Amino acid sequence: MNAKNNSCPMQNENAEILLSYCARTLEPEQVIQVEKHLLGCAECREWAAGQQAVWAAMDTWEPEPISADFDAALFARIAATEQPSAWERWTAPVRQFLQGGFGWRPMLSAGAVALTLVIALSIENPFRKEPPVGQSVKLEAHEIEQAERALEDLEMLRQLEAPEEETSL
Amino acid sequence: MIAVATIEHDAELMLRVREGDSQSFALLLAKHRAPVIHFLYRMIQNQAVAEELAQEVFLRVYRSRASYEPTAKFTTWLFRIASHVALNHIRDGKHERNQESLDQDSDEGMSRQVASTGPTVEQQMLREARFEEIRRTIQLLPAKQRAAVLMHKYEEMEYAQIAAALECSESAVKSSLFRAYETLRAKLAHMNR
Ligand SMILES: [Zn+2]
Repeated sequence: MNAKNNSCPMQNENAEILLSYCARTLEPEQVIQVEKHLLGCAECREWAAGQQAVWAAMDTWEPEPISADFDAALFARIAATEQPSAWERWTAPVRQFLQGGFGWRPMLSAGAVALTLVIALSIENPFRKEPPVGQSVKLEAHEIEQAERALEDLEMLRQLEAPEEETSL
Repeated sequence: MIAVATIEHDAELMLRVREGDSQSFALLLAKHRAPVIHFLYRMIQNQAVAEELAQEVFLRVYRSRASYEPTAKFTTWLFRIASHVALNHIRDGKHERNQESLDQDSDEGMSRQVASTGPTVEQQMLREARFEEIRRTIQLLPAKQRAAVLMHKYEEMEYAQIAAALECSESAVKSSLFRAYETLRAKLAHMNR
């Protein structure tokens, strides 16, 4: 912290300490250190005054009041997502059977084979009636959105566990 | 990895949510509802949209409960979701459309506040003009810089936390914050001097 230097180091490598000083997050000893520097450095005084003014201006930005029904709306949405899907309702008896605790592994393999056959037949079946176009598109869009959200959630969790290095904001 | 003995209270609550305790979720919501909504409001600058996005954030928190692991501070994880939701919203261009309703909202807000008793009409108008200037200046910052500034200023988050929330390095956060504050100083410093 050389006060005589024209381009003060505090504005470069140590500007962080000056920013923390303006944010009032420094330890008392560091505050004394910075204030000593400010006495002799006009550039840092100017920087700090500007930053403190910005800080004070931002303090005046009060948030808006939150809707009284925010929680109720959220719990309603959670309850809606907690409802078993059509797929879960249809497969519930099978899942109950599989969780029954006896010889479920061979049954699971047999089930997988049967399911593959059903899917293959439903794709290949020339007599299968196509659903109305709008309905099909709506269902697909919904499913894609759900899958995208699930992937985003997973990706976020994965990245949080192993934060990557990246430089530009 | 956080040791079980030093696990923070919020993470402990989240682990209880994972076990199916909805009361713990209500406690987390009560504690973090306001900071998340305020952050989103300042990011998007439209209260109705901010609340809608906050619903999405808490819904994601709830849906992620099964896979939740306390590898980071709960607030960092929460603001990572909130930033992600806000930046996606801005990226998808839904933001500009909200701005139109925002201008209507702020006009209404101004007439409502000016009409109220308390400080004189001139003082109120001056305060509103300043508020408008702050709001517009912050709005001009690039979205990620804005998110960094809002987390640093209003949530008092550390550089490492902001970096984890914005999925970038700590040095990137620092340089981003310095650039953002430089812009703000150039435009706002005259206000309180
Ligand atoms: Zn200096």
